[in-house]
Amino acid sequence: MWGTQMKATRLAAVAAAALALGACDLSVENPGPIPDAELNTAGAMPALVNGMSADLSVAVDLMARYGSVLADELAHSGNYAAEGYFYRGVIPPENVNDVWGDMQRARWVAEHGIDRLKEVLGSGFESSPLAIRANLYAGYANRLLGENVCDAVIDGGPKQPYTEHFTRAEAYFTEALRLAQAQGNTALANAALAGRAQVRADLGNWDGAAQDAALVPTSYHFDAIFSTNTERENNTLAYETQTRREYTVYNTQWAQNSNKDPRVPWDTVKTSAGKIQTGQDGKTPFFRQMKYKGLDAEIPLAKGTEMLLIRAEAALRKGDVPGAVELINQERTAYGLAPASAATLEEAWPLLQKERGAVTWLEARRFGDLRRWFAASGPEKNNFLQGRATCVPISDEEMHSNPNLGG
Amino acid sequence: MRFPRSPAARATVAALLCLLAAGSPAAAQQATGRVQGVVRVPGTQRPLAGAQVFVPGTGIGALTDGAGRYALDRVPAGSVTLRVQMLGYAQAERTVQVAAGATATADFELEETAVALNEVVVTATGETRKREIGNSVSAINAQEIQRAPVRNAQDILAGRATGVNVLSNSGQPGAGGTIRLRGNNSVTQGNNPIIYVDGVRIYNGLTPTNVYARQAVSPLNDIDPDDIDRIEVVKGPAATTLYGTEASGGVIQIFTKRGMAGAPSWTAEISGGFNNMGHIGPKEDKTGMWLNRCRGDGLVTGTGVRFEDPTCPASGSWLRNGPIQKYGLSVRGGTPDVTYFLSANYGDEEGVLPTSGSKDGGFRGNFSFHPAKTVQVALNSSYNKRNTRWIPDGNNASGVMLNVTRGPDSNFKGSGCSDPDVVCVNNAEIFKSQSNTITDHFITGFTVDYLPSDRFRNKLSVGYDYNQADITTVLPFGFLRLPSGQMYWNGWRRTLITVDLASSYRLDFGRDWVSTTSAGGQLFDSRLNNTAVTATNFSGPGKPTLISAALRDVTDDDRTRVINAGFFGQEQIAWKDRLFITAGLRVDGNSAFGESFGLQPYPKLSASYVLSDYDWWPKSTVETFKLRGAVGESGKAPGAFDAVRTWSPIAGEDGQPAFTPGQLGNPDLGPERTRETEVGFEASAFGGRVGLDFTYYKQHTFDALIAVSYPPSEGFLTNQLENVGQLQNTGIEARLDLQFLRRPNLEWSGHVNFSTVNSKALDLGGQVITLGSLARTYVKEGYPVPGYFGKKVMNPDAIADPIIEDDQYLGSAFPTKTIAPSTSITLFRRLTLDALGEWQLGGHLLNAVAYQNANKGEWFPCVDVQKKMAAAATDPSALNGVTALQRARCTTDGTVRDYAFWVEPTDFFKMRSISLSYDLPANLIPGARSATLTIAGRNLFKITDYTGTDPEVTDVRDYSFARRDYYNFPTSRSFLATLRVSF
Repeated sequence: MWGTQMKATRLAAVAAAALALGACDLSVENPGPIPDAELNTAGAMPALVNGMSADLSVAVDLMARYGSVLADELAHSGNYAAEGYFYRGVIPPENVNDVWGDMQRARWVAEHGIDRLKEVLGSGFESSPLAIRANLYAGYANRLLGENVCDAVIDGGPKQPYTEHFTRAEAYFTEALRLAQAQGNTALANAALAGRAQVRADLGNWDGAAQDAALVPTSYHFDAIFSTNTERENNTLAYETQTRREYTVYNTQWAQNSNKDPRVPWDTVKTSAGKIQTGQDGKTPFFRQMKYKGLDAEIPLAKGTEMLLIRAEAALRKGDVPGAVELINQERTAYGLAPASAATLEEAWPLLQKERGAVTWLEARRFGDLRRWFAASGPEKNNFLQGRATCVPISDEEMHSNPNLGG
Repeated sequence: MRFPRSPAARATVAALLCLLAAGSPAAAQQATGRVQGVVRVPGTQRPLAGAQVFVPGTGIGALTDGAGRYALDRVPAGSVTLRVQMLGYAQAERTVQVAAGATATADFELEETAVALNEVVVTATGETRKREIGNSVSAINAQEIQRAPVRNAQDILAGRATGVNVLSNSGQPGAGGTIRLRGNNSVTQGNNPIIYVDGVRIYNGLTPTNVYARQAVSPLNDIDPDDIDRIEVVKGPAATTLYGTEASGGVIQIFTKRGMAGAPSWTAEISGGFNNMGHIGPKEDKTGMWLNRCRGDGLVTGTGVRFEDPTCPASGSWLRNGPIQKYGLSVRGGTPDVTYFLSANYGDEEGVLPTSGSKDGGFRGNFSFHPAKTVQVALNSSYNKRNTRWIPDGNNASGVMLNVTRGPDSNFKGSGCSDPDVVCVNNAEIFKSQSNTITDHFITGFTVDYLPSDRFRNKLSVGYDYNQADITTVLPFGFLRLPSGQMYWNGWRRTLITVDLASSYRLDFGRDWVSTTSAGGQLFDSRLNNTAVTATNFSGPGKPTLISAALRDVTDDDRTRVINAGFFGQEQIAWKDRLFITAGLRVDGNSAFGESFGLQPYPKLSASYVLSDYDWWPKSTVETFKLRGAVGESGKAPGAFDAVRTWSPIAGEDGQPAFTPGQLGNPDLGPERTRETEVGFEASAFGGRVGLDFTYYKQHTFDALIAVSYPPSEGFLTNQLENVGQLQNTGIEARLDLQFLRRPNLEWSGHVNFSTVNSKALDLGGQVITLGSLARTYVKEGYPVPGYFGKKVMNPDAIADPIIEDDQYLGSAFPTKTIAPSTSITLFRRLTLDALGEWQLGGHLLNAVAYQNANKGEWFPCVDVQKKMAAAATDPSALNGVTALQRARCTTDGTVRDYAFWVEPTDFFKMRSISLSYDLPANLIPGARSATLTIAGRNLFKITDYTGTDPEVTDVRDYSFARRDYYNFPTSRSFLATLRVSF
């Protein structure tokens, strides 16, 4: 049995130890991730908008890769299973979880980021360049989706026509233009005009598209940003072609150019035995794209030269072949190319389509263009997508998880 | 981000302190004497080493030496009860009269028995006799492994205990394996059992994977097998309830050797041998996938593409015999009050491929002393350092298997070939990359046993587990595939603090009833620091560091601290020492629980009934029979911060600070719970010659944590954990022990471990869990966890075009049945042959090597088929004899070929080990008390229809749960000679 004194001494010791331990830091920590509520400060807004840009770049990068083999820009020369399907014109919904997710995230962070910007910046929103950029990213993310997906799905909602993305994009570009003009920011105003010209064309509003396009200087470009700074910022199309040989120019229409077209640069790599290097699959000749040579190569979202072609296509749709050829040749001159000619619509449409293909090569645009021309019935009809998938379906993950889609 | 302090943690700490304060001993001085003797096996009279001889209720005890001798000093004078016990033998007890200052002699004979109910095992409440336990506990003792050529702790577990499944993952020396106890009962939270070493919990996972090797090191394997005294495996939640959250995957307890009273006893061990690889790949391929042969004939693909590799070693093979050497030295001794065990070891093992190998060394100090009569303190510390030199492997464009087995399609095209018309490859370039995982593992802790009386027992364990890994891969400047060079570095530190207190009090009611009340608590403080950097573009040649590179990208930086704390209470009622009813409750708190979750209770109830203690029991035939049953719960906590919605900091706009959606968060997140019911019996018959331990179990995991995907259109792309699923595991485990012969000059015994695991996802909240789409591995309701799903050839054996159905179940990813027979034959008490084999049945593996190589004409089983398929374009009869499955697998038509066709059964038998040991005459080595020479082989052969290189391999970096054979190097065989001498 304990003595009373001993017991008291021990209890006191226990109490002291308990107090000491109570003073110990027993909290748990996970520095790094940022709780959602902590973003609601003005100081966090530049990073929030940079995040919109970063997520858009990730989406553009992957869609540029997938789109290149879904369209007629590159051939598959590697081992990736998904690209194998895409090159054959097949798009299994389970193989587009990544690109669907990336594009949707780019749209979501920009659209909802605008709401957060308004809430946090209050009256400062109108005068902030961040507001312009956020609207531009929302616009371009929607344009990217609209040009590539089969159906629009907004924030877990039901399926809508893909043109919903163009409608939303037009609204965001219009808002960006208003803010840019109010702030006197010409560069971003051009980005808004160019983006709106693209989606107006996508919506079939060719007059509106041509009007916007005419306001953008030929030398202007607005890019998705890439960097060697971190892997996430890399242009992976550059990696997959400069390092891995997963895609090749071989067996595409561009392989006929003999490397003369500065808009579609490519070369070949020789083995030590003097033979042409094969792709990652070990059998397909590897013709290396040279448009994106480094992991930090930017991918254009809009260019003044494309604006000329939007105006040319608008002219063709009115039957104005000379006017269209004139605009096409302005574009070719900008690249140092000799003028082209076409006398009839039947000659002019293929010319225009190939010019657009060259100007927007590997910019995640061609697949959408082909869908537009494949759906047409006139001389602009392009049959490349005959028997092939014409758009990116709603991904398996979206279908399974979205209750409005039966998930 | 910081979280409020855990109330459970505080409560536990307070409880620990209160219990700690219970009484202190008062040492007493009295007259003492000495007891000595020898412990032998009856009949054969073989001396028994490592038996525990002790005076119950005191700290006095010792282990027998190699000659079976023991000596106990300072034994109180008078009538003293001595008890002797050892795993696998019936306990013996006798009373000895000890005179003050004199030496008494007491020899013992221990009967070998398959079922020793008075054997003591360690539970969460402390040491307990097996007869009292209502669940199955498997134990592996040092004797079982002493002669076996085990490479590491993971090897010990393979085939030696029921319900334990070990898959080696890779043939690279140093690679950690996958261990499962009764299968998988969690989809998202891992299924690794928790591991204790001498009462200190250690990290139970693997280090981060080396990006180039695609494999990782297991800290479990840092425990030197020669230091291990025994391993106890507690397999299901019914048994692990009191271990709390995280214990539903089972518990492995490792006990290292302790000192013993007496003069220093030294043991030295020296091993030498080599690793050797037999034929690799399909038997049709005489070149062994161009690994066995890289020169001469056969360097041509099925499509006729010839190649040459001037960098192929002069031996004509990439493979070599990799030397193995290992040295160990230990000493144990002490006085009745202070004992010690000290050991040191060093090992160097080369792989069968150039540059691969593993070198490790470490030391251990285990001390025990009695600061007072009623108090025993044990201090156990160990340190191990390991340098694993990897080969680039797995799903790695610069990997050995990926390039060498692709012949002319190696990514390492080069020059120097004699024939200008062949494809020239330089695969030796592969070995210029350097991949290492260098680990430091330090475990220290102390245990205080305070026994103020026979009735009142207290145990406090405090421990610290420190793991550090320095993981690097260097592609030197000028490396063929990346001339500018690259370096990956991963600095990883993981620490775990354990505070564990258990007390029990026994109360007798009359002659027949005994109540034992136990209570205690545990606190675990787990910290992780992990930083990864990729550095690219070195300025020039030379040995680089991270700052040698122009581009440096910090790709990961985790610094987390998680606290898990809980307390338990248990009441056991015993009747006549033959019926034991035990009820317990564990209550846990965890910082990962969401706001809506507080403390989590886990109940248990078990019963054990020793029927053979009744007079009516036919003891002459079946001398021991115990029925047992248990039901209990355990759980798994979600990840440390899964409940919180977060954004991830990233860089964007060329290095500018940015955010992207991180984790959606779920404030209602709680632990998943597994409830298990198990029933079984343990029986020993015919004088201990036959033993049978049988268990049936059924586990039901509810509130299973499932990573639920939310619509990507809502912005957060990562899946969010929710408590929505239900899983089920059922199975049986049986161990049969047979003593065929017990003659003075011939002993022959055999054992068979048999286990089944049938898992099923009962409810996943409507989700299909994708573990790896390219691995075709999913978790689906109604199917094993996990399973392979995908396209299936419905008419595999028909001589016809394949009929293919989508989304078909293809098989369980993990084996469902394990049969491990072993035998031991001892001749003339000196020569012993041990053998252990293992069947693993019911599992499947995706053979991605065949899928990829077949497409290139480099998978030899497909070569003839592909020729016939090509010929069929003009002559359809060419396909006669070609089955639908062969056509589907071997086609190069991209619209048909699919990974799923290459999901193959992995049923295999492996001869895990064979050893032949000879106990040398004592006078052969001057001064030696005993010496044993052992010649052994490990993984000597396998029998399987799996067409890949090894049915056990997987790419660890690709998937943590799914399994895929993607150019992973197979396991090699080893031959070892070992001399162990005790002085």
